[in-house]
Amino acid sequence: MFRVDLHPTHVCDCGKFRLRVGKPLPFGASIVPGGVNFSVYSSFATSCKLALFNKHEPKPFCVIPFKDEFRIGNVFTMVVFDLDYDNLEYGFYMDGPFNEREGQRFDKTKILMDPYAKAIGGRDVWGQAPDWDNIYQHRARICFDDFDWENDHPQETPVEDLIIYETHVRGFTKHPSSGVKHPGTFSGIREKIEYLKELGVNCVELMPIHEFDEFENSRPSPTTGKMLMNYWGYSNVGFFAPKAGYAATGKFGMQADECKTLIRELHKNGIEVILDVVFNHTAEGDQRGPYISYRGIDNKTYYLLTPDGYYYNFSGCGNTLNCNNPIVRNMILDCLRYWVADYHIDGFRFDLASILGRDMNGAPMHSPPLLETLAFDPILGKCKLIAEAWDAGGLYQVGCFPAWGRWAEWNGKYRDDLRKFLKGEPGMLGAMAQRLQGSPDLYAREGRGATASVNFITAHDGFTLKDMVSYNGKHNEANGENNSDGGNDNYSWNCGWEGESTDPEVNRLRVKQMKNAVAMLLVSQGTPMILSGDEMANTQWGNNNAYCQDNEISWLDWSLLEKNRELFNFFRKMIAFRRKHAVLRSRGHFQNRDYMGSGFADITWHGQKAWNADWSDESLCLAFVLCGRHAKGGTVDDNSVYVAMNMDWLMHGFQLPKLPDYMEWCVFANTDAAAGQDIWEPGQEVNLDNQEEFLVGARSVVILMGRDKPKNEVKSKKKSLK
Amino acid sequence: MEIKTSTQNGATIIELSGSLDGNTVNEAQEKILPLLSANNFSLVLDLKSCGYISSAGLRLLLMAAKQLSTQGGVLLLSGLSAEIKDVMEMTGFDNFFKTFDNVAQALKAIGKE
Repeated sequence: MFRVDLHPTHVCDCGKFRLRVGKPLPFGASIVPGGVNFSVYSSFATSCKLALFNKHEPKPFCVIPFKDEFRIGNVFTMVVFDLDYDNLEYGFYMDGPFNEREGQRFDKTKILMDPYAKAIGGRDVWGQAPDWDNIYQHRARICFDDFDWENDHPQETPVEDLIIYETHVRGFTKHPSSGVKHPGTFSGIREKIEYLKELGVNCVELMPIHEFDEFENSRPSPTTGKMLMNYWGYSNVGFFAPKAGYAATGKFGMQADECKTLIRELHKNGIEVILDVVFNHTAEGDQRGPYISYRGIDNKTYYLLTPDGYYYNFSGCGNTLNCNNPIVRNMILDCLRYWVADYHIDGFRFDLASILGRDMNGAPMHSPPLLETLAFDPILGKCKLIAEAWDAGGLYQVGCFPAWGRWAEWNGKYRDDLRKFLKGEPGMLGAMAQRLQGSPDLYAREGRGATASVNFITAHDGFTLKDMVSYNGKHNEANGENNSDGGNDNYSWNCGWEGESTDPEVNRLRVKQMKNAVAMLLVSQGTPMILSGDEMANTQWGNNNAYCQDNEISWLDWSLLEKNRELFNFFRKMIAFRRKHAVLRSRGHFQNRDYMGSGFADITWHGQKAWNADWSDESLCLAFVLCGRHAKGGTVDDNSVYVAMNMDWLMHGFQLPKLPDYMEWCVFANTDAAAGQDIWEPGQEVNLDNQEEFLVGARSVVILMGRDKPKNEVKSKKKSLK
Repeated sequence: MEIKTSTQNGATIIELSGSLDGNTVNEAQEKILPLLSANNFSLVLDLKSCGYISSAGLRLLLMAAKQLSTQGGVLLLSGLSAEIKDVMEMTGFDNFFKTFDNVAQALKAIGKE
């Protein structure tokens, strides 16, 4: 069809390109018949020019001012015809006031990246040193948006059924032991899909994949001499573009296709994708930082500024994005909608999400418009929204993050309480009872339910599981900050020796403690999250803040998989057990009553004596039964599950609650037992001779499952009763 | 870029030499599209002398394959370099094509040897 509004009306000064007024929406650069529609907004710019580059070239081949008639409101928009957009990079020059006290920082000499850039060049291959003399470092590109999804659709797995696996695109396969063809890339993960399936997780949560600069604040380590990089990437250059350096095809500018292919293949295998997104700050830092985009386009709009025009720093990274400014709010919404619609992303985890609830002066708001908008947005309507419910400015909102029934939270209290209990701290049983039930003390209000709690013991931030049982304190010397960085409240215990040990007793206890931890995690109500590598006892040698370590400290060493096959098997079977038993995956909280007439309430508490848990401060023993008849609120008939936890250094007998006559307890897991006897395939649980009492070893977890007795046995018992 | 067309046992063979990128994709499109609508149910695209295919180039190939398949035809690719093959695999384009080491194998596969 011929459209009259695709007819050029102007020619640029050099005569090479034909132009016409563009459409203000969508923002960014969009391919239209015959050309590219550019659209960028600035509340305060007085003029704007479009700079066009051939890929990688330091100087633009053409600079085209937006004519007055190409400005609509505060939006500059124009169509440029006849571009070879496969080989194109573009940026903007913006002129406007410079007055620091007023928060205005325009500099017409800077070339600025499009905040809506869908692909960004300049760091095409990870770690390849850039040309620092190039005045345009992070270069907007045109992105094809016609990926063939082959009927793919976001998974929409019920949140209570998720088992999240948190990983880092580069760290997952960069180590030579990964054996993949393209280590450290989206394609590398794709080659490990079979592994993820074997483990049994059904969701991967990727640490930031938006374009960032790995060279930001790069420097040699004072202890190792190795280059320290911005490895984790919690510092966005652009919000709409996948990191080119994470794609083996980034050097060809095909990172979007490679990323989408990974997502499509994960979906084909039943695995969801959650992105860790960082909307709390950008890579521009404070007033000493570079002009990448936002500072030079609309500083006063994008950033939270003090009354005298400096940057508030609630992120701990120099600046704070002005999330509840209506313009920035719209950008965040546009961004998330884009990732859902164009990348089929299943959910988001928001880094330092409490910042998203601060007003334009930095004060926490009661009903933050941004969070409300995201909760009710139709395009995001089925995707998971998970908040890291605190920020670096002291706001801690675990249990009270504004949720509208949609937001889940990283439950930091779960992590801390479980770690304390695990190391044998007294007085933890009350808290543990809450954590095991999906933290009703935090999430029962407003009916948020157990799934508001994302349960985790370890995450990228902090010790790995192996290190949690191997170090009492952090060892971050390699980060070059005199071990002052990283958290101090680790609640870890080294099992008797600090660091790597050759003592078989110490190592045996460590393995058991790791099994205890994952056993408790996977029988807890709420959504469990596992840190990638914990299943093979990956270590960072005590570094609990490896944000800058692009080396063996962070990279997953796959040779550990064979060495620690026993632990991997334990993880795998625990995950399978959770996936098999709906009783472990309630959406709502328990009612603490028997509403199914089964003789058991939905959850009942026990201890060394059945029906009589010892809640005293000195007690380190707790057991509970989840009644299978009450699974998923009584809508599913499942087996009952009994869990006994003994965190004492002595063995204790646990009296077992009696099941109805036609049922018996059988053993699924016992972390005190030797390898091979410690856990069974779900469905192949072993008989238990003594149905009265179970001797639970020191610092051990036992999981029993209730099942029907073989029919002959029941009949003969009934006869004998007669 | 150079495009040569020939027929062999009733199959059309298009040989692309040089780079298929933003600079050349329009020209290639103009030459290839008419061939897709002239009852060429078996079309072999020989890329043995093609050193580079950009994102736009891969999209042209995909579009051609889809257009041909709606008419019941099939687009066969032959002579891909290892690197191009690898890129196609990583970016998900490989799902849509049958690829062969050379033209003879492609023709054999469709019974036109």
